[in-house]
Order: sequence, then C-alpha cells, then structure tokens
Amino acid sequence: MLFSYNWLKEFVDGLDEVHSLSDRLTITGTEIETVTDLSGGISGVVTAEVATIEPHPNADKLSLCDVNTADGTLKIVCGAKNMKPGDKVVLAVHGARLPGDFKIKRSKIRGVESNGMMCSEVELGIAKESDGIMILPSDTPIGLDALDVLGLQDFILDAGITPNRPDLLSMRGLAREVAAVTDATFTYTAGTVEETGPSVDGLVQVSIEEGAPCTRYSARVIEGVAVGPTPDYIVRRLETNGLRSVNNIVDITNYVLLELGQPLHAFDLDKIGGAKIVVRNARGGETIETIDNVERTLPESVCVIADESTPVAVAGIMGGKASEVSDSTTRVLLESAYFIPTSVRRASKALGLSSDSSYRFERGVDIDAVTEALDRAAALILEIAGGTVAKGRVDLYPEKYVAEPLLFRVPRAEALLGIPIDPDEMASVLKRLGMGVAKKKEFEATGIEVTPPSYRRDILIEEDLLEEAARLFGYDNIPTTLPVAGLVPGGVSPLLGIKRQITEVLSGAGMAEALNYSFVSKDEFNVTGTEGAPALEIMNPLSAEQSVMRRSLMPSLLETLRRNLQVKNEEAAFFEVAPVFTLKATDAGEEGDSTDSLPTQRWKVAGVLYGPRWSMAWNYPKEWVDFYDIKGIVERVLEGVGVRSPMRLSSVGEADARLFHPGKSAAITLGSALAGSLGEIHPEIQSRYDLPKPAYIFELDIEAMAAVSSSKKKYRPLARYPGSVRDVAFIVKSEVPYSDILTSIEKIDTKLIEKVDLFDVYCGSEIPEGSRSIALRVKYRSIDGTLKQAEVDAVHSKVQSELSTRFGAEIRGDGS
Amino acid sequence: MRERLEELLNEARAEIEETGLKDALVGVKSKYLGRKGLLQGFFKELGALAVDERKRAGEFINTVKQSLETEIDSRLSAIHAEEQAERLKTEKLDVTLPGRARSLGSIHPVTRTLYEVQDIFASLGFGIAEGPEVEIDYYNFEALNIPRDHPARDMQDTFYINEEVLLRTHTSPVQIRVMEEHPPPLRIIAPGTVYRRDSDVTHTPMFHQVEGFMVDTNVTFSNLKGVLTHFLHSLFGDSIEVRFRPSFFPFTEPSAEVDIRCVICKGKSSTCRVCKGSGWLEVLGAGMIHPEVFKSVKYDPEKVSGFAFGLGIERIAMLKYGIDDIRLFFENDIRFLSQY
Repeated sequence: MLFSYNWLKEFVDGLDEVHSLSDRLTITGTEIETVTDLSGGISGVVTAEVATIEPHPNADKLSLCDVNTADGTLKIVCGAKNMKPGDKVVLAVHGARLPGDFKIKRSKIRGVESNGMMCSEVELGIAKESDGIMILPSDTPIGLDALDVLGLQDFILDAGITPNRPDLLSMRGLAREVAAVTDATFTYTAGTVEETGPSVDGLVQVSIEEGAPCTRYSARVIEGVAVGPTPDYIVRRLETNGLRSVNNIVDITNYVLLELGQPLHAFDLDKIGGAKIVVRNARGGETIETIDNVERTLPESVCVIADESTPVAVAGIMGGKASEVSDSTTRVLLESAYFIPTSVRRASKALGLSSDSSYRFERGVDIDAVTEALDRAAALILEIAGGTVAKGRVDLYPEKYVAEPLLFRVPRAEALLGIPIDPDEMASVLKRLGMGVAKKKEFEATGIEVTPPSYRRDILIEEDLLEEAARLFGYDNIPTTLPVAGLVPGGVSPLLGIKRQITEVLSGAGMAEALNYSFVSKDEFNVTGTEGAPALEIMNPLSAEQSVMRRSLMPSLLETLRRNLQVKNEEAAFFEVAPVFTLKATDAGEEGDSTDSLPTQRWKVAGVLYGPRWSMAWNYPKEWVDFYDIKGIVERVLEGVGVRSPMRLSSVGEADARLFHPGKSAAITLGSALAGSLGEIHPEIQSRYDLPKPAYIFELDIEAMAAVSSSKKKYRPLARYPGSVRDVAFIVKSEVPYSDILTSIEKIDTKLIEKVDLFDVYCGSEIPEGSRSIALRVKYRSIDGTLKQAEVDAVHSKVQSELSTRFGAEIRGDGS
Repeated sequence: MRERLEELLNEARAEIEETGLKDALVGVKSKYLGRKGLLQGFFKELGALAVDERKRAGEFINTVKQSLETEIDSRLSAIHAEEQAERLKTEKLDVTLPGRARSLGSIHPVTRTLYEVQDIFASLGFGIAEGPEVEIDYYNFEALNIPRDHPARDMQDTFYINEEVLLRTHTSPVQIRVMEEHPPPLRIIAPGTVYRRDSDVTHTPMFHQVEGFMVDTNVTFSNLKGVLTHFLHSLFGDSIEVRFRPSFFPFTEPSAEVDIRCVICKGKSSTCRVCKGSGWLEVLGAGMIHPEVFKSVKYDPEKVSGFAFGLGIERIAMLKYGIDDIRLFFENDIRFLSQY
C-alpha cells in the first residue's frame, strides 16, 4: 500500500524525518520498498498573480508581463497566450529548480530582462501535456510555496504489508504502528456525527440470516444529499492509491477505507426494494450485475447483501450496479460490516473478482472499529454532500468479539530468543502495541497475561508475542551465536552424489549443462514415450507451451539445440540432469491426498551432441559427430559413476521409436533393468527441430545406474612380467555384433588374455558385400611369469579358430 | 714403443681435431680403440717384453687409451651439442597458434551456486535431503500452517495438477517429510526445483531453492542469526554486512528476512538499480519453526525448538555473477552457459 507522509502527519505528533521513518519501519517489520519524493527536485516555485501583459518589444510571439509576488512585482517574459491579468500562476523565480535539473536564472530574452518563468503543468512534471501555463484557482493567495498548493510537498512510502498485518492497511493503522516503533504519539480520535433526521429504524430494516458469514453489520441513512464532485484533496489522495474519483459519496467511502481500513458501501436507498437489507447466502441461480458492469451468476456459497427480493451487493467484494449511488441519488444507505475472512476469500476466488474491500476483508478488518468508520463517513458526507443523518444506526453485532488472553512466559522467551528479558520492559513494549497487560500472580514476575487489541487478530499464540517483543527490541540487538549441538549423522544421499559426479563427468567431457523447464507443450511431450499414455497435465498452466510435465529430458535438449542453432551457435553439446514425471497407472482421474497419489518421479541424465566433433580449429580435422561419439559419452558416464555391470544394448522400445533412427540407436540395459537409450535421432525429428544434420542423443536413468554402481575401488596387482602382442585380421558377416566377438574371445583364456583392442573396422572394395574386415590386437600376459612363444601361439591359435568356427570368420592374417 | 705410441696419439689427436662428423669420429674411435684397433696391437707386443718393462709399458698404453677415449668422447659430445643446436635452430613453432584443447564443458551457474551453498552447510554438519517436486497440498501448505482460504497462499501462486496435487512452491515440504521420518535433533538442507505461477522480467515459473532447518532442544533465534551470518559470510565474503529484519511466513514465528549490503553500490547510491537505492538486498527468509509445524509432525514445541530458512538460488547466482536477467538461466544459450 502507498502512504502519503503528509497524511500520516495528521494522525501522529512528532513524526520522524521521512527517510529515518522509512528505515525504522523496515527494521521493525513494515518493509518500505521505496520512498518517492513527489516534489521531484522542484524548488523555488511560488504562487503569483499576473498584473499586466504587454507585447514583447522585440518578438511577436512573446509577451512581457508584470507579475505580483510576495516580494514585489517582477518582469517576466512569457511565450504562452492563455493567461490574463488577475490570473494566479506558478512562478519559478531566479534560482528555482524544475524537474530534470532545470535551473531558472535571470536572463535577457531578446534584449529584455526576464526574472523567472511562469510554469506549465508539463514543466512542473505533473502532466504529460498542457495548454499554455498553469492557471491556479482564483482564490489562491500569492507568495505561497507552489509545491504546498499543488500537494507536491510530500513523500509517498510504498509499504509491503504482509498478510498477517491487515491492521496496517490504512493510514490510521500505519500511524498506530509508527507511534509504537518510534517516539511519535498517536493523536487520532474518533469523531462524532450530528444526527438530525428521523430514526433510522423507520427507514430501513436489516437482518442477518442464519449461516451467513457476517458477524457484524452496521448501517446509517443520510437523506437529502447532493451527489457531485469531490474536493481536490480527497481526489488526490485516492489517485495516489490508484482509486478513480466517481462522485463525492463513493469517493468518501473509499477515502475512509484508506484512512481507517474499513471497507464501506453506499447504496441508493430508493433502489433498495422494500427498504430491506438481508445478509444471506446466494440462492441457486441468482445473478447480479456488479458496478464493473459484469453480469455474474452467484454460487450458493457466496454471501450477498439482498433487498426484499434480489442481491444488491456481493458481500465484502463489490456492490451492484442497480443500487449504486448516481447523480440522482438523494437518500444514501451506508453500510459498514464485518464478513468472515475465509468466506470472502472463497467467494472472491469463486467469482474471480477481488477489490480493495475484499483484500481487506479476507485478511480481517477491526470488528470493533466497524461503527467508527461508519460514523466517520457519515460525518464526511454531511460536510461535503450535505443532507441530514438519520438518528441512530443499525448495528447487528450479536456476539461481541472478545480477545483470548495469552500467557507470555519470560523464561521461555529468553530460551527461544537467546537474550535476557526484563519482564517490566517487556510489559511496556507490549503496552505500546496496544496490548492489555496484566501480571499473573501464579507466575510472579515471569508470566505476563496479554490481551491483544481487536485489530491484532494475528496475535494467537505466545510465539506471536515473542516476535512482537523481538522486533521492538530490535533483531539487530540479538547477538549472533553459532549453535552448540551434537553431531548428527547425515551426509549426502547416494543419489545426490551420483548426480554431482555425472555433472562433473559430462562437463569434463566438453558438454554444457542446460536447465530446462519441467513443463513442456503437449507436442513436445509426444516426441517420446508410449503413445496414448496419459500426460501429467497442469490445471492452470501459464501457456499451452508449458502445460504438461515432461516424461523425458531429450525433447527439451533438442529444443535447446534448435534455439542455439537459430542464433548461430553452431557448436553445441548439452546435457541436463533433472527428474521426469509419469502418472501411475492408478492415477488416471483419481484424486487422493497422500503421497501414494503422487506421480512417479525419476531422475534422468540426458545429453545431445551435434555438429563438428572438434571446435573448428587449424589443427583438428573437420569431422562430424556420429553415433560412436554419443556412445563414448555414455560409456564415460557409466565409468565415471562406477557402474560395474556391462551395458547391454538392444533395439529401442516402442516408447523411443519415434525419436530414434531405427538402425542407429539402442536401448541400454544395466543389470536387469532397462536404463536408457542412445542413438541418432529419427529424420522426422531432425526436421521437426529444424536441424540441418542429425543430432545424437542419450538418456540414462540415474536411479538404475545407482543400483549397479559402486564407488568402491579395488586394487588389481600390476603384471610384473612382459607380455606379447598378436594382431589378427578377419572378414566376418556384418550382422555379427562386435560385442559377441569380443566376449567370446575374452572367454577363451581369462588368465592369459589381458586385453583386446579393436583397431580397424573396414568394409568396401576387396571385402565381399555384407561382410566387414575387423582387426584386433590381443595382448597376452601372465601374472605368474614371462610367457613363452609357444604358450602365446597356442592361445592365439585358439582365438583364430574360435573366430572361424564360431563366427565363420575368414582369417586374413596378423592384421598388418 | 713409447715413441711409436706418442706418435700414434698425435696422429689420432689430429684426426679427432679434423673430424667434424659424428660417424667419422665413431670410425676414428674404432680405428684406434676398437677390438681390432691400433692400440690393441701394442697390447699384443707386451708379451715380448721383460716383466718390469711390461708393466710400465702396459700402464703407458692404458694412459694413452684413456686419454684417447676421453678426447674422442668429449669431441663426440661437442659435435652432438653442435648438431643439436643446429637442429633446434631450425625447429621453430609459432607458439602463438592456439592449443589443441578440447572445448571445455560447463556447469550451469545455478548448479554451481547450489553446490557452493550445499558445501557451506555440509561443513556445518547439515545433511542433504530431497523430496518430490510434484507434491500434495498437505505437505506444501497445510502442514506448514498455510490453511486453505488463507491469504498467505497468495504469497505463492501455485500450479495445480488437481485439487490435492500441485507443483511444490518451495522446498519446505521436505522439512515436513524429514521430520515425520526422523526424531530430533536434525540439521538438514533441502535443495531443489520449485514452481510458481509467475513469469515476467524478474520471475521465472520454475526456479531453485535451498531450504534448511535445525531442530534440537535448545536452538535459539540467536543461533539462527549465527548460522545464517556464517553462511552469508562464506558465500559473499567476511566483510559483507548482514541485516535481519522482522517479516512474516506462516511456518515460522518470529520470522525474519535477511538482507546483505548491496553488492553493486555498497549502499552508497540512491539510484542503484540493483537495490533500488535501499542499499540492501534481500537474500533469505528465515525464522523460528512455528509450533503448529511442530505439532503437525508430532514434535512437542515445549520440548524442542528450531529454525528454518530458505533462499532462492537464482537470486544468489545473479548477485554472485552479476547476471541482470533471470530468464538467461533457462534460455540455455551456449554463449551464456560456456561462461561458467
């Protein structure tokens, strides 16, 4: 809420200078976000009167005026034409400053001395356009500071009021707080209203139906009012808070709302059927056109103010069009009430309608100040719009609010805050805050019984008092000490550790970590996954682009790639570590309130490679990434997190079939669990993401990796004896997977075969169609001694015969 | 014999002197010192000499042999040095050409900041816990003393899956889940992704938070100040000024917001865009855990006390790295990512 510093002054004596006030409020819990100086750096502007206007001797478009000021008559050259002798104007005298650091100096204009400048609204920074200079009301005295006259000698404090402090949503409320936290004195006292009309009881009948969420309803009637324009000071104050002036009656209700925090509503009593007011819940199918010109159907949960037959207002939220105060209104029914906060909030949500009134009601207004605001508004209407106020007021308040007293235990407060507290000082702090304070005998000096005022319904428990004590004592005055505590075994979960390892491995492998939103479009959702499987949809998404929780990270990374290529970032390798979400089978259409009803969340890592294998450089070949680059990355990740079990590859499943090229992709199995997939993207997907070349992508399930990984490192003795190396080259059918060849060779002699390296794969001329040439280097070594030539030959010939008999390979030689 | 030897030595020396090539010198060496070399002939003559003569002659041959060896070797290494110097002169690289480095990958600044925050709290003995990002209303709101139809719900505009299930708006639900599972004492932080229905220049609908809490029998507000001040000093440097001021969160009482001195203007500019001239930057929300929260996890608020806090990682990362637009974090432009 925005607070005028000058207005605040009307409620307190001894107000601090604005910036120290702002600092003090912030440090005591009322955060002042900004302080705006309305004068905008203007100084030296006074009210003056145009005495004479004569043409400028040397310029047709200028005139030379005599202007009367408090310090005598000044010659002023002026370019405007809209003034006449006798007009009151705003004069910037020699030495004045205008917005934009514009300094006014005595100067010669076309050979004639000018002693200042008569200002327009634009020059004063209070309007975007103006037609000539500003003419003030004719009764404006001369010699005043124009800033005061224009209400610009003021500061606006923008306060962030937290939901627990609705009592601060008014000038009076802030003034009360200021008095409690500074040395200022709260001076506001409630006024009275002169009642000269007939008894209110004969003019209107009010009742609250059982079950209506209204615990106090008060009303007054003012007859013979003249609806018309509103005094400037009220209009200005309303505008500061973004409220548009309507007419004097409506403006007064809004003014009192800002002043005292109590929402009011004025009805045209002649439009209230049967002069009856019934506070009740809406009946099925009832409608109302609210003052914002919207026809609304009212759910039965919404409380309304009705006349004898139909709703005339949505209780606490907005009045009805039909009964609003208009130019022809003469009899006003003024309402001031207390509606139960949760009901106003529910109604406001149900109707999608909120207002300054509902904002305050749903946070809670001061139930004991309901009639005070009513009287204040009635008095203002009398003063501004005339008429007579009916005798007495309606005040249905069946159950008077009584605050529960709370026990404040000094030793407990000391234990929680970590500071010593003097009970007497504490009592006086609480008194400053308007709390009733009584010492309880049974607690002697250490227990204080505290009764919060009716406007502090946020004070419900002892801890609330503790905060009040602490904030007035000053958080800064509480010492800063590290706790003394026993060690708690905790540490990092294995999953967290693995996620961090993966991030380090992949960034180390030259990939950039990306972070994408967890929600995607339905289209993107459908890039992967079982077709027709239900999506985890957001009920109230910001846009269709962000409406479904993703079930794979891969589409997001392709989108990341696409956007980078769009801005010509040609070298792109990204990875992401994030959870994905899938509905449980039983979820469909079911709502529950336990964790079991939550979707499945699985942590994944995904990566994408695209474009040149190396950064474009003078000393690297120009090569493009391919399947084996992404496979290398996957191998590196698995090795990096200590996955012990080998990765087994098979064709990708149905869920990934749309994403991947069928012949250049694989599903990854670790242990017995399907753990991910990798490969070249499908040409359809490639064009969907506007990629000139194929991208290579993988996704791995981190939990599946964690299940088969171990951070344990076990030492293997180093071979101390020299080994022998033998190469073998052979031609074999292309459909024989290399992994089969490798495993079967390794099995031939697990003791002597130390390592098998693949150093060439070739198909082309000389090699029959459908076959390929493979060259392996086998390293033989024994842990027990130097191998003899014959021993190596024996194993190597076993390798050769395994290749020919098992795989039908044609041995070409030693690979050289 | 002595004369012949001296003559041989002189001849050899002349040859060594003349020879500028390594190979020729190796030839010289074998000519004189080889197994069939000239000196070997003198050894053969020794047999014909008298015993005492033989001894003296043998010693003399050895002297000649040694000095020849030394001279040839030193000449050899001199030639080697010359040749090497010559070769090195021709082998010259343009060292200013770029190196053959693989492009470095990068860790997202949000992740980096998360790690940094985690490590600071780990050093204070805080464990790390995680929880689901799609949460039930109870854990996200009700157990944290934010009932339905409470205006405090407006503080966190929420994405809903259905009436009961939502995207968590903070990582505070983890606090409830941990306390439900474990008795006090506890010291835990909960890092993670959170969601709020808000998207503009200063808000993204998804961002990251670290929530932390400590529960024990004697935790005080003073301790809260101690731990968070230590944390902020570790993150922003020991000289950063820290300010605690009262605020409101439904799940803490008393509550505080924690500010640091503006890292840009140091509180000296009334027109600073980062702190809006206030001189302070809000970085943390905190407070003593509300008794209602303790009651919802069946802890006795008369017996235990604790503090909780939460911070937005993007905000911290923006301040640490001087990033001026939060949306950059999720645009994933490689020119941005590769800076980290």
